[in-house]
Amino acid sequence: MSDGGHGDGFRVTTVVFTAALLALLALVGGALYRQRRLNESLRAQLEAAEADLQHLQEACSRLAPAGVVQRLVADTAPGTAPAAERKVVTALFADLVGYTALSERLEPVVLARVLNGYFQRMSDAIHEHRGHVSTFLGDGILAYFGALQPNPWQCNDAVCAALAMREAIREYNAELSRERLPPLAVGIGIHRGPGLAGLIGSRERMEYGFVGRTVNLAARVQALTRTHKVDILVTEALRAELDTRFLLEPMPPEPVKGIAEPVVTYAVRESTAGALKPEAS
Amino acid sequence: MASALQDVAWEQCLLEPRSDRAVESYARRKQGLPQPMISYFAPVPWLARALVDLHCEYGLLMHLDQAVADLVVLVVSQENSCRYCYAGVRALLWFQGMSRTRIQGMEQDFARAGLSPRTMAGIAFARSQSRSGPPSARAAREALQRAGYGAEEMREIAFVAAQTDFSNRAHTIAAIPSRPVEQVTEQLYMRLLRPLLGRIVKKHRYRGHPTPLGPVPSYPYAHVVNAYAGSPIAPALGRTLEEMWASPLLTRRCKLLMLAVVARGLACDVCARDVGKALRDEGFKEATLIQVLTHLDAPELDPVERLLVPFARETIWYEPAVIQRRARAIRDGLDSAQLLEAIGVAALANGLCRMGAMVMDSA
Repeated sequence: MSDGGHGDGFRVTTVVFTAALLALLALVGGALYRQRRLNESLRAQLEAAEADLQHLQEACSRLAPAGVVQRLVADTAPGTAPAAERKVVTALFADLVGYTALSERLEPVVLARVLNGYFQRMSDAIHEHRGHVSTFLGDGILAYFGALQPNPWQCNDAVCAALAMREAIREYNAELSRERLPPLAVGIGIHRGPGLAGLIGSRERMEYGFVGRTVNLAARVQALTRTHKVDILVTEALRAELDTRFLLEPMPPEPVKGIAEPVVTYAVRESTAGALKPEAS
Repeated sequence: MASALQDVAWEQCLLEPRSDRAVESYARRKQGLPQPMISYFAPVPWLARALVDLHCEYGLLMHLDQAVADLVVLVVSQENSCRYCYAGVRALLWFQGMSRTRIQGMEQDFARAGLSPRTMAGIAFARSQSRSGPPSARAAREALQRAGYGAEEMREIAFVAAQTDFSNRAHTIAAIPSRPVEQVTEQLYMRLLRPLLGRIVKKHRYRGHPTPLGPVPSYPYAHVVNAYAGSPIAPALGRTLEEMWASPLLTRRCKLLMLAVVARGLACDVCARDVGKALRDEGFKEATLIQVLTHLDAPELDPVERLLVPFARETIWYEPAVIQRRARAIRDGLDSAQLLEAIGVAALANGLCRMGAMVMDSA
């Protein structure tokens, strides 16, 4: 009898223990399941946040060069900008000839479409030759070569970009003519010189830019394209570094605002690939 | 595990894989796992071997923490937008037991300073060496010293970053297919085999031991090798350089010109001096060299050199799809082995020049 009593007691204990164990397992399982759900939810949020960050970075890349955006994200403390650097840079300034008259002739919607097509083609030509567009100023474009990375061939690149811009305008004009829209003409000034490159602006709004006399002179030389009735002008400083395959035509020296001496410029006619002459020893 | 680089445009591969049992089994013996990509590089034996021998996890590092080296490889591959190498190092970390979430978290930490200041300094240096090259080497080296790195560790970080720059360019310019590596962590059979593969990978990774350099080499860029004397890096790098110079696919002069262009593009004065001297020893006139370096062309260049001198310049800073299209464009003027060797020479020149200033300045 006593054995049976012990047997019953053992069975009861076993049942209670098993039930408790099962309950504990159920609790642990439930907790694990909840934790897993929570982890999945957090991972989904993290991935969504990462996608947002990626989109934001892509959007920022339209405002500043991608390299600068990466540096801002990766290298600098929050709220600070990377230090500006002294550099020798080639500045290219392009402007539409007769833009005011054009803006009066065209409907704003059509004008905006024509301008967007123009900016896109010019930016592509600049980018293709390793330049980057710093800013659009009304109908003007300011681009730099050698500002983001060292580029000892920046002068050649800038002139190649200008020639590509000339060709792109020619093709764009053919498209515009098919739509019975007036053709565009562009004046381009290029100069090379020292300055300070980096993010410049207020705490609220900054842009990647270049500060120095180089930019002003490029803009003045661009204005001289009207005086000399040519589309691409380069300065003496740029010519000295340029490949001899570019055909240049000297222009008469012209005084420009803010510069004491008359500025010597050269019109770029074309590039004759494959016609290099041996350099004098 | 979506990679940050999976949206980077990547052209079709420029090369045809060519099975070479000797090279394949060499890679398998050294790294433990089959390396299918090695067959793309087999037509240029020195390049295929260099991609195996210069891997930093197989007995080359004596001082630098392997975890920091792994991060450097990941960051530099990200910097160079090399989809293949980036996916490769992620897969390697995954095989070794790191969860996909942990890898993703680590990638986010690069930008959010979630790592220790010492590790962050190492990463910042590698990124700077890869991105800006020699001009910023001095400042970057001082930052490393401040973070507590010793001279040997600094040299090893420079090597790991340079080796990654080399490997990234070799895989990117040739557009080696990246999808299979990117999908490794998603495949069921890979997940099942992961513990086994992880053990194999771990078993084959080992730390380096002091290794004598042997006779002092005299070929161009030998001083980079000398800077690593006593480290296993020196003989591995020396053998790569020796085999590269001995390879007959491109002329020695053509290779020197490519190196000279990269040295000028990266503003590495010490490398430019070294290559300039070697070119003069070859009988190349100083005036012609100046013309080549200024205009990337000269009438004295042969047709292959006229293709490859401007191409070398393209490999310094690039976008993957753009450089892949440029490489495709020069393919008509070269046979496939020459194209591959040109990719290898340009890739090696970029790695050596970026590392050169740091290593030679401090040596």
